[in-house]
Formats: sequence, structure tokens, C-alpha cells
Amino acid sequence: MKNLKKVVAVLVLAGAIAGWFQASESTRRYLKHIGKQVPYLPYRYFI
Amino acid sequence: MNDYDAVVIGAGLGGLSAASILAKNGFKTLVCENTGNLGGCCSSYKEQGYTFDTGASVVELWWIIDELFEALGKKTSEYIDWIPVDPIYGFLNADGQRFTYPVDVKGTRDVIEGFSPEDAVNWDRFARVGSEAINEAFGRIMTTPFMTFGDAMKMTAKHPSMIKLMKYMGMSFESTLKSFFESEKVRASMSLQSYFIGLPPALCPGYIAFLAYAEHEGIFYPRGGMVQIPAAIAKCFEEFGGEIKLNSTVKRVLIENGRAAGVELVDGTQIRSRIVVSNINAKTLYLEHVGRENLPSWAVKAIESYEVSIPAPMIMLGLDTSPDLDAHHTFCYTTIDEMNAIWFEDYCSRKLPERGFMLVSWPTHADPSLAPEGHHCLNMVTFAPYELADGDWDDLKERYLETQLDFLEKRFGLEGIREHITVARVITPKDFGKMLLHPRGAVYALQNDIMASAFFRPRLRSKAIKGLYLTGASTHFGGGVPPTIGSGIAASGLMIKDYG
Repeated sequence: MKNLKKVVAVLVLAGAIAGWFQASESTRRYLKHIGKQVPYLPYRYFI
Repeated sequence: MNDYDAVVIGAGLGGLSAASILAKNGFKTLVCENTGNLGGCCSSYKEQGYTFDTGASVVELWWIIDELFEALGKKTSEYIDWIPVDPIYGFLNADGQRFTYPVDVKGTRDVIEGFSPEDAVNWDRFARVGSEAINEAFGRIMTTPFMTFGDAMKMTAKHPSMIKLMKYMGMSFESTLKSFFESEKVRASMSLQSYFIGLPPALCPGYIAFLAYAEHEGIFYPRGGMVQIPAAIAKCFEEFGGEIKLNSTVKRVLIENGRAAGVELVDGTQIRSRIVVSNINAKTLYLEHVGRENLPSWAVKAIESYEVSIPAPMIMLGLDTSPDLDAHHTFCYTTIDEMNAIWFEDYCSRKLPERGFMLVSWPTHADPSLAPEGHHCLNMVTFAPYELADGDWDDLKERYLETQLDFLEKRFGLEGIREHITVARVITPKDFGKMLLHPRGAVYALQNDIMASAFFRPRLRSKAIKGLYLTGASTHFGGGVPPTIGSGIAASGLMIKDYG
């Protein structure tokens, strides 16, 4: 189970990296913009 | 002893919609409005015989308004006289080319075909996806309270077409248009709608691009000016026994034992109620009216994390002639890169808007009764910072007016229009801030990023303060006439469930 979690995590990370390099400049700019707000989501979810 | 069941802060569309449904359901309800006018950002005022709209200029997704009137047991047509607006937009591009998009989907296809035969086929595909998005998703999610992730899942299970739209949540508005259209001219002609939620095409969520289709479902103007919409809702509210106090500014929300217990006005009057409903900016509500001392630290952190939306200064012109324009709205545009530069180069550098971009609304095209016979009104909208690098808005107001009039003459082809101006008024972001208590003149309340949408936007039922409910542009689905009315419908549903 522990190994499975690690494999899933690595696959998600690899997918994200591959997706990032395949994305257009426009999409990257958009993802950077929304990425900056991710740390606030746990707070925003409870307001 | 409570004076009312519910006190509503602000007579904007969200507050009035919630108040009228509450009153219909037997809640003794009071609306306190800071100004002497109804409607907030959907209002009108009279000056020298002209009626000028301050904010919203047309209505799309009109069936949300019908839904409100149905909930009130009324017929919209008995309260509002809708005038169809067609064509939707007149366009002027950088080459001086002039064209219009009619409401008819096929008619718009014909115009697009003239620019790019491939994009005429792409328009068919865009219209198909747009129709699904608007009719099966947008139309429903605007009146649904998105309180939890679970609510979103339930909604998706009920309306699987939302799954198709999820793809566009991870894409920008710009990327979405690029995924449909080849021609830069066609893309740019549909790029204005990103600013309808206060963001440039590069940062606006992709699903908003389908608003460019939404307008083809029908677009309307209320005879008598945009204020007729809030006036109609207020009339229903008063017919159900509701009370409205204009020029009545709320200073704070009374908090007792962690729950809302009423409001205190600036004159010190305390009004006690079972429920407090806010129709003001959520940042003002939580940080000033409720107060940090009454909020858990996580709630303060959450509300501080939201950026307020971009302000939209307006210029109102009364003319003694008919302007040579083609439609209710005329959009002067260049390219998507220029639309993005308004944000990244001008707004972020706190520059006075002097770039070639503007939306001109011509309400007397639809309703000539808004001006003396033979006269017309033009409302000009741009986007600009609240604080300017070159000085204060009060000092730069005249320069702004002159720049925009130059632009109107040169780019819009309205040579000599200055000689026909009988009234000219500039409403700056600071004016909007003072008039409507918008922090930093924010016209769409909070920035409407994907990360500040749905269950990541301030909830309709506060999770921090019991008995406190929110409506309007600060809540899910954001700013605009149908979304704010939708928030009022959804919030009142929660209140009736909790207290009815």
C-alpha cells in the first residue's frame, strides 16, 4: 500500500512536469497565476 | 426581541433578490441602503433630461430574472418592459474595419466566414459547446449554493455536461479561444468578455469564453434604464410588506455569542434581527463590519487572501445629435496581446488608461426615451487602477476625459463629437468607491479567478459567523446582473431552509 502511494505520487508528479513542458506559454502564465493562490485554498474553503 | 427577521445590508441586485424571496415567505425584512438609489452596480441616474446607466448596460442569461419572478409568484413582463438588443456588438478594429455580430447564430457565422472560412466551421463547434455550457451548466450553477466540494460533485452527477466544461477550468480564456479559432481577428472580437469578470484574456478562466456565445441566446435592455430591474424587484419586495431605508449606512454587524444579531447604523441606531444578509463587498463585510476581533484567525487569513477586482471608470455623455455607431455596444479592439497589455503593462504599472481600448454603450439606440427628443446618451467604459502613478484621479480626471474623447473622435470615427456634447461626467474608481462603498473601486467585488470561484469564494452562508448570509458579486458566481440575482435566489433558499 505504501509503495502504491509512492508510485501514484511519482506518476502524478511526472504527469504534471510533462504537462507543464507541453503547455503553451499562455497556459503556463495562467497556471502560474492560479498556482500562486493554492496556499490560500485551505482557508478559502472554510469562509 | 428582534425588530426584524432579516436585515439586508445593501440594495444591490443580490440583496434585493434575497430580500424579496424572504418577504414572500413571511420573513419581516428590512433593506438598508447606503445611497439614495437602488441597484448598486445596476443603476441609473438623471442629469439635465438624460438617464445614464452606472455599471451594467444590458442583460444576458435573462431567464435567471424570470426564475426570480417565478419564485415571487409574479411575471417579469408585468414589471419590466424588455427591449431586444440586436445586433449585440458593433466592432471597430485597428484597421478601421467596422462590422457587427447579430444575435442570430447563423448571421454571426456569415460575418466570421468573411474573415476566415475555417473559423465559420469553428464557430459552429464553439456555439454547440457554448449552448451546452450556458443552458445546462451556467444557467443552473448560478442559482445553486456551492457550499462544499460535495455540492459540486452532486451538481456534476446531475448535469454531466459540466464534465466537458472542466477542461476549460484548467485553461485560460485566451487558450480557450485559441483552441477554437484560427484567425486572430475572430479571437480578438471575442476577447472583451474576459473583462466582464475583471480579468485579461491571459488570466481569466477558460469557461468564461462561452459568454461570447451566451449573448446569442438573447440580450435585452429594460425600458427606462438599467435601474428598472432593481426597481421592479424592490416593488415586489414592498408588495410583500418589505421595507427599504435609503441613505441608511450600516456601520457594523452586531455580533453576540459568535452569531449575527442585527446591525448598527452610522447614527448609532441598532436594528436587531434573526438574520443579517450582506450585499456588500465581502472584504468590507468581514474586516470592517464584522471586525477581525469577532473572526477566527483562519477566516481573517482567508478574506485577506482575496484580491479585489479591477475598477471600471465611466464617462457619461449627453449629445444633441445621433452618434454614427451601429449597435447598442461598440467595442474598439486590436489584438488579444493588446487586451493583455491593458492589464500587465498599464493596470499593474498604475497608468491612466490611454491605450486604444474602450466599450461604448449607446442606450438611446434601444430606448430613445432616455434623452430629450433628438438627443442621445453614450456611456464609455474602460478599466483602470484605483491609484495612479502620475497623481490622483481628482487631478487627472480632465486629462482622462480629454484622452478618451480624442479616442472617440479618432478611433470611433466620431469626428467633431465634442461640439455636440451637452453633458459630460466622469465617474472615477474613487467616485465608485465613495458612492457604492467598493473597496478600491472594485466593480466586480473580488477578483474572479478560478481559485476564487465556487466553494473557494465567500460562502452564501457564512462559515465564520452564524446567522450571517452573503449575496452579490463577492459570492459564487461573481459579478453581473444574472449571477448576482442568482446569488440572491440561492442564499434565500438557504435562509428559508435554516429559519423558515
